[in-house]
Amino acid sequence: MKYKDYDIDNFITDEFFIQWIKNPNENNSHFWEKWMDQHPEKRPLVNEAANLIRAVKYADNPEFTDRMYVETFEQILKADNQYRKVSPVRSKRPLNNHTNKTRKMFYHFPVRGIAASVLVLFCFWAQYEAFNFKPDSEPITEIALVKRANPAGQKSIIDLPDGSRIHLNANSEIEFPQEFSNDLRSVSLVGEAFFEIEKENRPFIVQSGETKIQVLGTSFNVNKKENGSLYVALVTGKVSVNTKNGSRTTLEPNEMLVLKESGTFHKTGFDPKDVIGWKDNYLVFKSSRFPEVRKKLEQWYGVNIELKGGLDENWTYSGVYEDEMLENVLRGICMTSGMNYNIDNKQVTITNPK
Amino acid sequence: MNHNPKLQNNDHKNIYPLGHSESIKVYESKSDVDIWKAFSKGDENAFHYIYRMYVTVLFKYGCQMCKDQNHIQDCIQNIFIDLRRKRGQLNEVQSIKAYLFKILYRELIRKSNKSKEVVHQDPEKVNNNFSIEFSQESKLIQEEHYKEKYHKIQIAISKLTCRQRQAILLLYEEGMTYKEISVAMEFSEVKSARKVIYRALSTLKSLLQTTSQDKV
Repeated sequence: MKYKDYDIDNFITDEFFIQWIKNPNENNSHFWEKWMDQHPEKRPLVNEAANLIRAVKYADNPEFTDRMYVETFEQILKADNQYRKVSPVRSKRPLNNHTNKTRKMFYHFPVRGIAASVLVLFCFWAQYEAFNFKPDSEPITEIALVKRANPAGQKSIIDLPDGSRIHLNANSEIEFPQEFSNDLRSVSLVGEAFFEIEKENRPFIVQSGETKIQVLGTSFNVNKKENGSLYVALVTGKVSVNTKNGSRTTLEPNEMLVLKESGTFHKTGFDPKDVIGWKDNYLVFKSSRFPEVRKKLEQWYGVNIELKGGLDENWTYSGVYEDEMLENVLRGICMTSGMNYNIDNKQVTITNPK
Repeated sequence: MNHNPKLQNNDHKNIYPLGHSESIKVYESKSDVDIWKAFSKGDENAFHYIYRMYVTVLFKYGCQMCKDQNHIQDCIQNIFIDLRRKRGQLNEVQSIKAYLFKILYRELIRKSNKSKEVVHQDPEKVNNNFSIEFSQESKLIQEEHYKEKYHKIQIAISKLTCRQRQAILLLYEEGMTYKEISVAMEFSEVKSARKVIYRALSTLKSLLQTTSQDKV
């Protein structure tokens, strides 16, 4: 019988369903949430089944007090020591004699005193443990976020704790937890980055604006441009992209997703050098119009560019530079179009005499 | 600059011995089989982990079959002492919780059979074991047709046998799988655990279906 044909009594006896209610984890939650999305009409039934399961409780619910916790622990450890001191033959005897014996011993005065001091020592130890607990639990309760930001003109490589590597482009910013949680690796990105993700069971999620890109192990480029469009280009592996308005699409290698700010999207192929060349220091122009050329140069070299004189509407430029100085790039661009350039520290002026 | 907090953490590990909280961190990603193996090999941290994770639920479970809290405390103490003595020769355990539930149940039965107290043999008392509380969100109970339905369910629950209640509580309150229930209740087959649950719920089934039809 399939889950969609289940009635309430099927749900409340289904192990996988009960586990989701009582011990939710990544796997069962993933399945059941998906399943409910597919079968929204079953939601009331599922809720009722869940309520029934949760309603069943022990009628007696006595508290295991801290005193009992400590006392029991102490007795267990103490039995250990007695066992070591006395001959091993003792272990052959039925165990239930043991507590009776300690109970009787307890009424002897000196033993009582010793026991009391042991208890006091134990309390100190417990206190010490409690202190110890604090610094350990901090990173769990309070997730420390690491933020890396590049100004214009600077790129960087970031190695994540899980072995994944991020190439962060200039003018971009990435934020991730110092330590990933047990079931998820999640980072948020502003700008552009190239990801090489270590394959493992925890999904890796890149959050760019309100779009989520989910992968397991793969390499891909994410670029959110200032006009609001998002470009996700996949090199290897597989990624799925969830947009803010709830649609979801997957990419195959060599496919690029172009997601407009309006929410519409389409897939295209892409020229790897053009899209991801930046991480290997390839500055690529491919029939680029002037605003794009200017933007790229400003970002790449961290300069400010001013254009003096008009430029033909149809002006475009194509060229590839590998690890080149700004001056050489400018020379290349200006030579083909008969323009002049001037570099004054961070200020670049391009003049078109025509 | 981001390395600083990490370094501090490492320093920490060098200065202090492995505490309870750290043993939790180390072991919670491991399987029960591995934790049990480590415990059997004499790993004290594995013991700390097991004690800390299960002693409270063991106590609650014990209280469902005996009202004498001191007695339960003794029994829990004894099963742990016994387990520690058997380290090195413990068998593989798939579910630590189910296994501990089983040996606590045995210990309690054994003790009550031995003791001359009449209390435990009193059928009235035995019938009180594993009593179920069927609690509902108050906002649901305020709705009239729910009110009637839950009243009916409560009556049906009160007619269950002790063994059925035990199985249902393990399933719903403890969130155990059928396999774990069969270990805890010492059924030879998982099938038997399913049977007990199905039979117990079959009386509820008719109630539930009529009411869910009412709603439609």
